[in-house]
Amino acid sequence: MTIELRHLEKKYENLTPLEDVNAVIKDGDVISVIGPSGTGKSTLLRCINLLERPTGGQVLLDGDDITAAGYDLKKVRRRMGMVFQSFNLFGHLTVIENLMLAPMDILKKPKKEAYETGVNLLKRVGLSGREYQYPDQLSGGQKQRVAIARTLAMDPDVILLDEPTSALDPTMVSEVQAVIRDLSQTGKTMMIVTHEMNFARAICNRVFYMDQGGIYEEGTPDVIFDSPQKDLTRRFIRKLKVLELLIDDAHSDLPGMGSEIDRYCLENNMFPRIRNHIRLVFEELVQQILMSELKEPVIRFTAEYSETDNKTDVTVLYNGAPFDPADTKNHLSYRVLKSVASELVYHPGSDEEGFTNTCSFVLPG
Amino acid sequence: MCRQHGKLHPGLLTLFLFIILTLSGCGSDEKDEITSIDQLDRPDCVIGVGLDCPEEKLLRSQFPDAKLVQYKDNLLAIRDVADNRLDAVVYARVPMELALANGTTGVRILDENYCNNPVAVGISPKTEIIGLRDKLNDFIDEIQDDGTMNDMFDRWVTKLDWTMPEIPQAEDPSIKLVVGTVGTIEPYSFYSGTELSGLDIEMAYRFAAWLGAEVEFKTYDFNGIIAAAQSGDVDCIMSNLYFTPEHAESIPFSDIVYYNDIAVLVSDCDAVGANGEVKGFASSVRDSFEKTFIREGRWRLFLQGLITTVVITIFSIIFGTVLGFSLFMLCRNGNPFANAVTRICIRLVEGLPVVVLLMMLYYIIFGGLSVSGTTVSVVCFSLVFGAAVFGMIRTGVNAIDRGQLEAAYTLGYSDLKAFFRIVFPQALPLFMPSYKTEVTSVIKATAVVGYIAVQDLTKMGDIVRTRTYEAFFPLISVAVIYFALAGFMTFLVNRIELRIDPRKRDPEEIRREVER
Repeated sequence: MTIELRHLEKKYENLTPLEDVNAVIKDGDVISVIGPSGTGKSTLLRCINLLERPTGGQVLLDGDDITAAGYDLKKVRRRMGMVFQSFNLFGHLTVIENLMLAPMDILKKPKKEAYETGVNLLKRVGLSGREYQYPDQLSGGQKQRVAIARTLAMDPDVILLDEPTSALDPTMVSEVQAVIRDLSQTGKTMMIVTHEMNFARAICNRVFYMDQGGIYEEGTPDVIFDSPQKDLTRRFIRKLKVLELLIDDAHSDLPGMGSEIDRYCLENNMFPRIRNHIRLVFEELVQQILMSELKEPVIRFTAEYSETDNKTDVTVLYNGAPFDPADTKNHLSYRVLKSVASELVYHPGSDEEGFTNTCSFVLPG
Repeated sequence: MCRQHGKLHPGLLTLFLFIILTLSGCGSDEKDEITSIDQLDRPDCVIGVGLDCPEEKLLRSQFPDAKLVQYKDNLLAIRDVADNRLDAVVYARVPMELALANGTTGVRILDENYCNNPVAVGISPKTEIIGLRDKLNDFIDEIQDDGTMNDMFDRWVTKLDWTMPEIPQAEDPSIKLVVGTVGTIEPYSFYSGTELSGLDIEMAYRFAAWLGAEVEFKTYDFNGIIAAAQSGDVDCIMSNLYFTPEHAESIPFSDIVYYNDIAVLVSDCDAVGANGEVKGFASSVRDSFEKTFIREGRWRLFLQGLITTVVITIFSIIFGTVLGFSLFMLCRNGNPFANAVTRICIRLVEGLPVVVLLMMLYYIIFGGLSVSGTTVSVVCFSLVFGAAVFGMIRTGVNAIDRGQLEAAYTLGYSDLKAFFRIVFPQALPLFMPSYKTEVTSVIKATAVVGYIAVQDLTKMGDIVRTRTYEAFFPLISVAVIYFALAGFMTFLVNRIELRIDPRKRDPEEIRREVER
């Protein structure tokens, strides 16, 4: 089964999680959908099986437009299973009944067959012997495994998993991941929204990084996780914490920005030494060197702190004629800059925003 | 002090008890005993009068200082005189004498009459019998001239000989005469066993025979009987109905048929215990039981009333449940406008007192249509019950997580099927407790159907009370029957609940069912 998304759009009154999504999901694909929260990952999944109706665009299933008015969604949905973050097991039925209900009601399978399938699936997810328990007698991890088995009981062509481990205790995450990992090796088409990067990398053949209202970057796990091409992807993968300060005239509140740096470092639990270094770069380069050098200063100060290796990249963009801070008369300040940075690179040249100078620092962890 | 401590000071409590005990003694000790009618004109004199009786006006003008209290039930008024809550009751002499003759003590009736009230037949302005008023007047003239009226009055009222004579029925009647009556005033209109009897009833039979009509009786509460004639529910009222200017404004009347003597009943402290031996508790209960249930086969009245109550209750529960559920299903995915309209209608039904809703349905909405009171009651209580069911289903279903529905959708269920297979079975146990409460309350609420001429359990208790002159025993009997009925209905609903709550199924049965 091939799923094609064309200019998919979902707008709420004051929020637009999906602006323009285009993608083709081929038979046998296992796709991880990653991205910061609030970027429409779950909405995308729910638009594919039309739990949420898209406000624009199309979802094509083997070429059929299922978003067309009057399309029989029941037929589509029984071919697309879904696993929810909150399990959504039927609380009034026992585990085995949860697994048997839909195959009997919808697929009109005989009871005996439904029962046998159910028992086998429970064995597969490691829950043999729990047949006659009710969902509220199970742990979170067990519930999610039952939910996966319930989806499998309908033998769908595609399985959509919406943050299947997010509601679980850390101790239960791995048992559910093991079941999903097994499933990913059976050749079933899967699409999984997750925050567990290593897990995503281990099971998928494609990654969608979602941001800015769509699939911002797409690629194989190796490309996305090791060498992402775009800025936001890189920040996300390296778990970068970003601070941006903009000085656009001589009267900008520089001490205020200093305390903004403090707050940013505090929020991200950065070591005081790193905070001091960031402040030093700000004070010596921006306040001491650039503010006295530039006549009409427009300066963008960006710090990107990586949680994974504790390194901080600081980029300072500014306007005016090409000016290398190394040429400053303020030798003391420049010496300080040299001492805190493990790398200090300057290069002139204008970018699309009109900055004509770039100065980059790497502050070691 | 009391407030600060949050509980009643023991000394204060004793004081209260003392005051209550003192007051409950024969408080009239300090008043002069009333021996003549003139003594009623005192500012501290409280007089009970019948509802809607002409003597009330007379009393107001004659004794402007006295305080008048209206009573629907003269028996209760007499009790209040015996208990010193009232100084006197002004009411028809014969019924009061009957009350005394049936063992009411502590009161006596003054010899002189206060006044005479004319009794006439009230006629419905909407009757389909042409010239009913003229015919009635001709008939009244005739029976007054040939002595039949005197004979009837003599038998029923003077001699208290209460055997209904054989009156030849009209052969092959071409018309039907519907007579409204209260059935609760001896010796004019009362129940003997399960049959209506009395002076007015005999007159009705005679008039029907004279007219060549078939007669049908409908019994109403005092409050509802004039309205019944106005709306055309009955052709005429023969029920010891007084001819008063106020009544005459509402409906036409025939010529005067006979007069009621109006007398004054006062407290009689000397007479306490005058009846001789004080009966033991057991034997007095046995007596009351015999009078209330056995004599004249009065248990059949209770049985009829019970059946009526049960019929109204059960049908209201069934129709109300269907109505509430259907409304809910229609509103579930309905448009906001339709939902708002439904919501307003339900508020209306819930917001009105049931009696008012019942009377509006009977006299206004179904007025003039020949729909029986029982049917109107079922409609009324179905609406009330339906509104409650709608509310409780909504609350129950809203409490079910939306994820349940979504999970069902993703398995391929349609909206309706998902609702019935997944959501509703889980909502059911949530609202069953409220459903049980509602069942009990609808049983109790049906007690007001007497207002629209339906003879339910409560009404039958009233009817028996007017015959036995005992205020409490029939009341307590009725209470016990209601209690038992409510208990039984709750038991039934409990059984149903056990059957339909999926979580209360027998685990072994699930296993057998699943593996079969």
